[in-house]
Amino acid sequence: MKVWDRFVRVAHWSLAACVLAAWITAELKLKSAEPLHEWLGYAALAVIVLRFAWGWTGPRYARFRHFVAAPSRVLDYAKAVLRGVERRYVGHNPLGGWMIVALLATAALASLSGWLSVTDRLWGVEWIQEVHEALGNAVIALAALHVAGVVYTSWRQRENLAAAMVSGVKRPPEPGDVV
Amino acid sequence: MTTTGLLCGLCVAAACTLMASGAQATGFATCDAGPREGWQPQDKLAAMLKEKGWQVRRIKEDGGCYEVYAMDEKGQRTEVYFHPRTLAPVPRGAKDHKG
Repeated sequence: MKVWDRFVRVAHWSLAACVLAAWITAELKLKSAEPLHEWLGYAALAVIVLRFAWGWTGPRYARFRHFVAAPSRVLDYAKAVLRGVERRYVGHNPLGGWMIVALLATAALASLSGWLSVTDRLWGVEWIQEVHEALGNAVIALAALHVAGVVYTSWRQRENLAAAMVSGVKRPPEPGDVV
Repeated sequence: MTTTGLLCGLCVAAACTLMASGAQATGFATCDAGPREGWQPQDKLAAMLKEKGWQVRRIKEDGGCYEVYAMDEKGQRTEVYFHPRTLAPVPRGAKDHKG
């Protein structure tokens, strides 16, 4: 069944590409890579803004209301994962839903802080540089955790979730699955 | 799992890039300025640049050079490396610049 709409998929892979390329261009420490790094940040911010808007107006599985679960449900799901008895979610599971919020928010703040650090007002100011670097590292750490979660859940459910983010299609729900 | 494989490959490539760059210096240039006793004070560099009409925002050490963030005489944002012994500008990408 179709779960991830075209916008969600394009936004996902665009943001992933921006984050990965921004990381590489930052670590290269080359003067020639700086303009590209800055534009990657602006592009990421644009994608995030559109994704937030889509989270209110988009179809069912794209909506924050659908996948941002209450803390008690997140805790219950985490306990179920640890016991190996978690249910299959056709959309985002409660942990995955919060990872999306965390990634979008952290990446948005990383982009914004990078933008601020090249304004006349904050140019060369130590704290904004430190904040930007810390947020950039946090995005990479969250992205690594996100990939680990995707690999683990793919293995648990015998379904390639990364491929599902390319095609948009997932196995139809079975009895006991959360739709 | 080809997509997952691709993702893992990308991450490994990125991690390698990170480590490869981490093994080198952390900045845009490196200086060979000898013992610190021969270094000129940052204040002198700041005064020199102020004389030129620059508004110095920050001076820090990076790769054995002085790294300066400033607004230049035209009010443009600028980031330049200087040699701690000679206070001469160091070109971007210079390795163990002797000043």
